[in-house]
Amino acid sequence: MKINTHQFGEIEFNQEHLINFSSGLLGFEDIKKYVLIKTEDELFYWLNSVDKPELCFPIVGIRVIDDSFQTETAYEAFGIVTMNQDPLKITINLKAPVYINQDEKKGFQKVLEDEKYLLNYNLFKE
Amino acid sequence: MLILTRKIDDEIIINSEIKIKVLSISDNQVKLGITAPVSVGILRGEIYEKVKQSTIDAVNQSKNKVNDISGFKVNKIGK
Repeated sequence: MKINTHQFGEIEFNQEHLINFSSGLLGFEDIKKYVLIKTEDELFYWLNSVDKPELCFPIVGIRVIDDSFQTETAYEAFGIVTMNQDPLKITINLKAPVYINQDEKKGFQKVLEDEKYLLNYNLFKE
Repeated sequence: MLILTRKIDDEIIINSEIKIKVLSISDNQVKLGITAPVSVGILRGEIYEKVKQSTIDAVNQSKNKVNDISGFKVNKIGK
């Protein structure tokens, strides 16, 4: 399978690389198939919709920010990142993490009640 | 939109499995108790909208180039 991404140009992948979000993401419930793109960068991953390739955003593992973060068994928790030219203005959504099970190729999104997890948490500091 | 009038302790049942009960009413606040299977996602409406908008922002901003991040540290919680 091939899709055209704005970030990486044309990428090719197999059916078994697809990650299925059976309930979609909040606000994007109809979009269920994504591909997780790893880059040379050790921090950022990219989640790219297969059916709607323009739906693409970077994610960062939440354990990088909070090493005591409780995730679900076999799932890794990621926060959706809003980029900015100024690194100090880059934010990560810790309020509604995206959970991905890379072995079973499935994922879901959940909103956390704990108020310490912000929707726009600064990813970097000086 | 279906509109129902309910009193305190009255319930609404949706799909035989989701139960919403009116617990208390004050001036301009209603307290609801919701019983549903774990697979049912329940969110305050405004949170849903904020999360959705944040994802849209992330998609829009993902097209922009970012300045070099190598001089910055990850902003760890509680550190």
